[in-house]
Amino acid sequence: MADEGDGKRPLLRVVPGGSEGSARREEEALLAAFLVGDDEAFGALVRRHEKLVLSLVRRYARTPEDARDLAQRTFLRAFEAARRALRRGVLEEGAVPFRRWLIRIAVNLGKNHLRDALRFTHTSLESVPEERLGTEPPGAAAALEHAQRAARVRAAVLALPRRQREVLTLRVDAELPFAEVAAALSITENAARVSFHHALQKLKALVGEDSL
Amino acid sequence: MKPECRDLEVLRSLAAAGALDGDEAARLAAHLAGCPACRAAEQADRALLDLVKLPPPGPAEALATADLPARALAALRARGRRRHALLRFGTAGGVALAVAAAVLLLLAPVLFRDRAPEPPAVAQAGWQEPDVDALWTESAVLELSDDAASTGDTWGDDALAAYDAWAGE
Repeated sequence: MADEGDGKRPLLRVVPGGSEGSARREEEALLAAFLVGDDEAFGALVRRHEKLVLSLVRRYARTPEDARDLAQRTFLRAFEAARRALRRGVLEEGAVPFRRWLIRIAVNLGKNHLRDALRFTHTSLESVPEERLGTEPPGAAAALEHAQRAARVRAAVLALPRRQREVLTLRVDAELPFAEVAAALSITENAARVSFHHALQKLKALVGEDSL
Repeated sequence: MKPECRDLEVLRSLAAAGALDGDEAARLAAHLAGCPACRAAEQADRALLDLVKLPPPGPAEALATADLPARALAALRARGRRRHALLRFGTAGGVALAVAAAVLLLLAPVLFRDRAPEPPAVAQAGWQEPDVDALWTESAVLELSDDAASTGDTWGDDALAAYDAWAGE
């Protein structure tokens, strides 16, 4: 990790988007260290954000390995973006909106992955065999029915208009406050709140209120 | 739906997502206390959002993602090695190209000196002034035919010598 006194550390400031104080300074130091060639700092940053990134990409993944690969690509792209930004000197006042980049990249990669997956298969990602209903004990049948409803709703989430889907999943999957959702998507907080409401209304229309 | 209910729709959605606090939460709570329809709608929104949530990661997922930091670091290092290899290749290729260009630049005058200034033969003839003396000499052949036999000067000289010898000179 870069030593503050070694003269190698670039003039960078990380915008973590929520966490403050020592956590922020720690992250700033880790990213700065990585950008001057400390790969171990990369590992530490991945550990710091892996839960957030995995929570975002797993909705679009077909398997756990898919989720892991998407998360890995998210980190590599975000670090590459930070490196290029540093090289080109395009950082605003030396700030690196690293967490925001991670969120944006994760959502975009997830969406692209889903598009590619659907291009090669027309089967539902979470289909539950209809014929299994009724052959299980009553409790199991109810659980299965609930799982089927959930699968329908989650499929409908992926069919939402892009902005609505992004706002909904950032709030539900990553549990981000609307201020951070808005920052990640470069929209106003009020627009994010209204999009969330519209997403909910659209979902109801897609799945039918009676099926809930 | 009453106008007040419609005004509070967005707040109701946010409350169902647990994202409402302060004055807005108090305002909505006051409304819900007296509006069974909105209470029911808010319950339905909460139920829908519960279905939107993904189930927590199972053991297989936890296992698959456990080594994410190590894998990502390995991928980063592999990418770095590829980039360095490309840079080395690119640098060597660039140097080779620069050397080739310099050599070509040095050799260009030698290689192209003899050929470049040489104009086409036909074009040169077309621009050359006619040689008047040569033309006169060529045309004088026709005039010589009056003094000598048209077949050649030698034959005329020999005949004149034979005549002189016979005439007794």
